[in-house]
Amino acid sequence: MTVTAPGVVDETTAVVDLGLRACAAYGREDLVPRLQRARARLADPEVQVVVVGEFKKGKSSLVNGLLGARVCPVDDDIATGVPTHLRHAPEPHASLLRPDPAGAADGVRRLLREPVPLERVRDLVQEQPAGRDGGRAGVHGVEVGLPSPVLAGGLVLIDTPGVGGLGSAHAAAALAEASTAQALVFVTDASQELTRAELDFLEQAHRMCSTVVCVITKIDLYPAWRRVAELTRNHLVAAGVDGPVLAVSSTLRELAASSGDDELDRESGYADLRQVLVRTVGDDAARYVVGEARAEVRAVCDQLDAQFSAERAVLADPEQARAVVEELNAVRTRVQELKSAASRWSRTLGDGIGDLNSDIDHDLRRRFREVLAEATAAIEESDPMDTWTEMEKWLQARVSHEMLGNFSELRTRATRLSEVVGEHFRSASGDVLQRVAIGDPRSTIAGEEIEHSIDLERLGARKQAMTMLRAAYGGSIMFVVLGSMVGITLGPIVGGIALVMGHKGLRTEKQRQREARQRQAVAAVRQYLDQVSFVMTKDSRDTLRDVQRQLRDHYTALAEQLERSNAEALRAATEASNRDAEQRRKRLVDVDAELGRIRALGKRASA
Amino acid sequence: MTGLSLLDRTRDLVQRSVAGPYAGTDQQGRLEGVLARLDEPLRVAIAGRVKAGKSTLLNALVGDRLAPTDAGECTRIVTWYADGHTYDVRAEPRAGATRQLRFERRNGVLEIDLDGLDPDQVERLRVTWPAQGLRHTILIDTPGIGSLSAQTSQRAWDALVPGDDTDQVADVVIYLLRHLHAGDVDFLRAFGETGIAQPSPINAIAVLSRADEIGAGRLDALASARRVAARVATEPDVRRLVQDVVPVAGLLAETAATLTQAEFDQIAGIAALDKVTTDRLLLSVDRFVTSVPEWELGAEDRRRLLDRFGLFGIRLASTMVRHRVATGAPDLATELLGRSGVQELRASLDTLFLRRHEVFKCRSALLTLDAVTRTRPVPGSEEVAAEAEQIVASVHGFRELRVLAAIRAGWITGRPDALEEAERLVGGRGTTPAERLGADPAADDAALRAEALVVLERWQRRAESPMTPHQLGAAARIVIQSCEGMVAELSDWPS
Repeated sequence: MTVTAPGVVDETTAVVDLGLRACAAYGREDLVPRLQRARARLADPEVQVVVVGEFKKGKSSLVNGLLGARVCPVDDDIATGVPTHLRHAPEPHASLLRPDPAGAADGVRRLLREPVPLERVRDLVQEQPAGRDGGRAGVHGVEVGLPSPVLAGGLVLIDTPGVGGLGSAHAAAALAEASTAQALVFVTDASQELTRAELDFLEQAHRMCSTVVCVITKIDLYPAWRRVAELTRNHLVAAGVDGPVLAVSSTLRELAASSGDDELDRESGYADLRQVLVRTVGDDAARYVVGEARAEVRAVCDQLDAQFSAERAVLADPEQARAVVEELNAVRTRVQELKSAASRWSRTLGDGIGDLNSDIDHDLRRRFREVLAEATAAIEESDPMDTWTEMEKWLQARVSHEMLGNFSELRTRATRLSEVVGEHFRSASGDVLQRVAIGDPRSTIAGEEIEHSIDLERLGARKQAMTMLRAAYGGSIMFVVLGSMVGITLGPIVGGIALVMGHKGLRTEKQRQREARQRQAVAAVRQYLDQVSFVMTKDSRDTLRDVQRQLRDHYTALAEQLERSNAEALRAATEASNRDAEQRRKRLVDVDAELGRIRALGKRASA
Repeated sequence: MTGLSLLDRTRDLVQRSVAGPYAGTDQQGRLEGVLARLDEPLRVAIAGRVKAGKSTLLNALVGDRLAPTDAGECTRIVTWYADGHTYDVRAEPRAGATRQLRFERRNGVLEIDLDGLDPDQVERLRVTWPAQGLRHTILIDTPGIGSLSAQTSQRAWDALVPGDDTDQVADVVIYLLRHLHAGDVDFLRAFGETGIAQPSPINAIAVLSRADEIGAGRLDALASARRVAARVATEPDVRRLVQDVVPVAGLLAETAATLTQAEFDQIAGIAALDKVTTDRLLLSVDRFVTSVPEWELGAEDRRRLLDRFGLFGIRLASTMVRHRVATGAPDLATELLGRSGVQELRASLDTLFLRRHEVFKCRSALLTLDAVTRTRPVPGSEEVAAEAEQIVASVHGFRELRVLAAIRAGWITGRPDALEEAERLVGGRGTTPAERLGADPAADDAALRAEALVVLERWQRRAESPMTPHQLGAAARIVIQSCEGMVAELSDWPS
C-alpha cells in the first residue's frame, strides 16, 4: 500500500538493514529472524479489506472496478457463494482454501491451498443450486492471485457472499471474515435508502471491525442517488458508525477503463474510493508496520547493548569484575527461570488457555441450549411437515450467529490473554536487561520512551493475537453455511393424505401424526446441534492450541535471546577481567566505539 | 357435483350463523362483514419489501397514477382502491368516524390532503375511483416490509397477515420481489399460514418487480429478468408459496399506461440526435441531465423524463422510435406496455385467480368462520364448524386447490411428469379445458373432449394401479373428477 510519505518506509528499511548488519557483525544470528520478519512486513504490509453487503448490491462489480479487471463473476441472477480472497501475485493463479485436517496433529494449522485452474473460479465462486455443491464441500474460500497495481502494495480484497437479511448464515460468515480484517467496505445501492436489516448488520459489523467505508453503487442508474447518499449518511451518523460514504458507478468505471476516459473515471467515483482505501486503511497499516519494525530494531539494540555494557563496566573498573560477574550469574538464573515452564508468563499462558478452553466450551453449550429451547418451542407450535424447510434455514442462521458470538468471545479473551502474557514477560525481562545495564550510567533510556515502547508492544501483542487467530481459525462457520443438515430428514410424511382427502374425523389421527413428527424434528435438531458443536469445539480447541503454541514459541525465543545476550556478556566480562591494563585500555576504546554505534542505531530507530 | 353453488352454500351458512348462534354476540358485526364481502369484487393486495415498486405496479394495473411514488419510502398507510361511480377519498382513523378527505390531481398525480390526520392514527384510506382496471378487483396498496420505521412495517404486516381476531384482508396477494430474500419467504409463509389447505401457494403470485433494474438498465434487461423469474419459480421454497413468478418493469408499465404526447415528442427528440450523441447522453443519469446542451430540453424537464421512464425506459423508448418500431404516442405506449410484462401479469391473475374468484372469496369467508368458531365457541358453533368443514371437504374447487397445494409443497410423490400433469389438470395453469389439458388454445370442443377422455382413462388406471403411491392415488381420484367435469362441460357446449 502506498504511504503518503514513502520516505518513512525507506528510512525504516534502512534502519532494519543496519540492525541486520550489526547482528552479523556481533555474531548474533539468533536475533536475525525477528528483524527479517519485520523487514518482510515492511516490504509487503498485508492489509485485508473485506467487502460485505446484501446480495445483488454489486459487491463483485465493485471489486472488479477496483482491480480494473473482470475477476469476480458478475451475473444478473446468480450470487457469489463463497468468500474470494484477491491478492497480488506476479502470475495469475487460483487456489481453493480448505482447513488442513492433517496439519492439526503436528504443527500449526493453516489453510490448505489447493491449486485450481483459473477457468474454474467462476463455477467455484458462484452460488450453486441447492443439492449441488460443485465439489467445494468444506471449502473455506477461493484465493485468486493476480498482478494488479492496486493490490501490489499488499492490499487483499475479500469479496463475500451477499447477506440475505440479517440473521442469515451468510451474514455470520461475512462477520467472521470482518472480525479479522483491518477494514470493512459496506456496499449498498442507490435504489433506496438503507433498510432496517442493512443497518442492523452494519452496526454489528462495526463492532467487529472499527474501520468502515460505506459505498453506494449503481449511481449511473438512479436519478435520486444524491438524496439516497444523504439519507444513508444520516442513518450512519444516527447509528454511531463513523466512516466515509462514497458513491460509485461500476458501469461507468468499466467504460472508463476500456476507453481510457479520465473524466468518466472521475465520474465513476472509483478514484475517490481508491484514495480512501489507500489513505484511511493503507496508511494506518503502514504506520503500524513502521512502528513495529523500529521497535524491533530498538529491542535488538538493547540486547547488543547489554552484551557490551557489562564488558565495558569491567574494563573501566577491574575492581568491579567480581560484582559484575556475580550479577550476571544472578541474571542467568533469572533468565533460565524465564525460559522454564515455572515462569509467571508461562503459567499465565497455560492456565489462561485452560480456562479459556473450558469457558468457551461452556459458552457454546449455553448458547446451543438456548437454541434448542427456542427450536423446541417453535416446533411445538407448528407442524414440522409445513415448517421444516424454514426451520432448517432458521436453525442454520441461528446456529451460525451463536457460533459467531462464541468466536468473538474467544477472540476477545485470547487477545486479552496474549496482552497479559506479554506484560508478564516484559516486566520480568525488562528487569533483566536493566540490571545488566546498571554498571553503565550512560545507558539510560528516557522514561517516556519506555512508556511508548510498552504501548507499542501492547498493541503488538493484540495485533499478534489477531494475526494468529486469522491463521488458526478453522472457519467452522463456513461448515454450517455451506453444509446442510446432511442425513437428517423427517421420516415419510403420511399426513399429506389427510389433507388431500380432507375427511372429517381425521383430526385425532392428524394430531397423533403431528406429535410424532414434532418429536422427530426435535431429535433432528438435537442431532444437528451435536454435530455442529463437535466441529466448533474442535475448531476452537485447535485455535487456542495454536495460539498457545505460537505465544509460547514467541516468548521462549525472546527468553533464549536474552540468555544468549547474558552468556555473551558473561563471557566478555570474564575475558575482560583476565586482560592486562594495556589490553584493557585498547579494548575499552573498541567497546566504547561499538556501544556508540549501537546506541546511535537505537536513537535512529527511535526518531 | 352438488346442486347449490359454492357461493350459495357459503352465504347460507354465514347467514345462519349470524342469525343463529352468533346473533347478538360481539362476533355478529364481523360475520356480517364477511357476508357483505361475498358480493364484493375480489380483494387483491400488493405487498413486498420497501421500495419494491408496489405503488408503481398498482398504478400500472389501474392505468392511472393514483398511488404516490417517490425515491424515499412513501406509502405509509394501507390504501384501498375500488371502482365506483364517483371520485371519493375517505380516511378510516383507528378511533373515531370515517372522514372524507380533499384531494386534487397535479401533473396527473393524485394528491391527498390528510387534513391534519397523523398517518399513524389512520387505519386505512379508501379511494373510490371509476377505472376500468378496478372493475373486477379491489386493489390494496401496503407499506413496505423491512422499513426503517418499525411501525410502518408492522402496519403492512397487520394488514396482510390475519390473526385470530382479524380477518384475512385480502383474498389474493401479489408479492413483489426484487431478488429472493430470506424476509420474503418468511412473509409469504406467514401469509399462507391459515387453517384451510395450509401452507397455501394457491392465493399468492410473485412479481419480480423493477425488472429493468435487474440487468442494470441494459437493453436486454427484460430478457435477463425473464430468465431470473423462470429460475426463481423453480426454487422449492418459492414453489410451495406462490403460484407463479412474473417479471414486471413497473415503471415502464405505469408510464406506458399514462403516456402523454409531450413525452413522446421528447423521446422522439432524443431519437433524432445522432447515435454518438445519444450514447453520450444516455451514459448515466447525471449525464442525461447535464450533457448535450445542444438538445433543447431543459434540466427540469430532463429530470421529469427520468422520473417517468428511468434510464432504461428512455434507452428502450428512444431506440424503438429511432428504429421506427413506434411512430406515435399510442404506438409507443403499446410497445412499452407489451415489453413491461404487466400484460402477462394480468393474464396470470386472470387465469389463476379471477376466474376462480368465488372459490377465493368463499375461502376467505370460511377461514373467518373457522377462526370465529375456534376462538369464540358458543352453543351451536360446533355445528357451524362441522358444516364449514363439510363444505371445505366436499366442494370440488377446494379439493383441487388442496391437491395443487399438496403437489407444490412436495407432499405427493410420484413420477415428475405425472405430478406435472396432475397439477395442470386440477387447474394449476388455468381453468379452461384447453389450459387444463395443455392443448392448443384453438382446438375445438370435440378435440378437447376426445383428449379429456383419453386423459380420464389414464388417470383411472393410475388411481386403481397397486403400483401408484398412496397419496398420488388419493390425488388421482380428485384429478379424475376434474376430468369428468371437463368431459361434462365440453358435452354441454353447443358445437
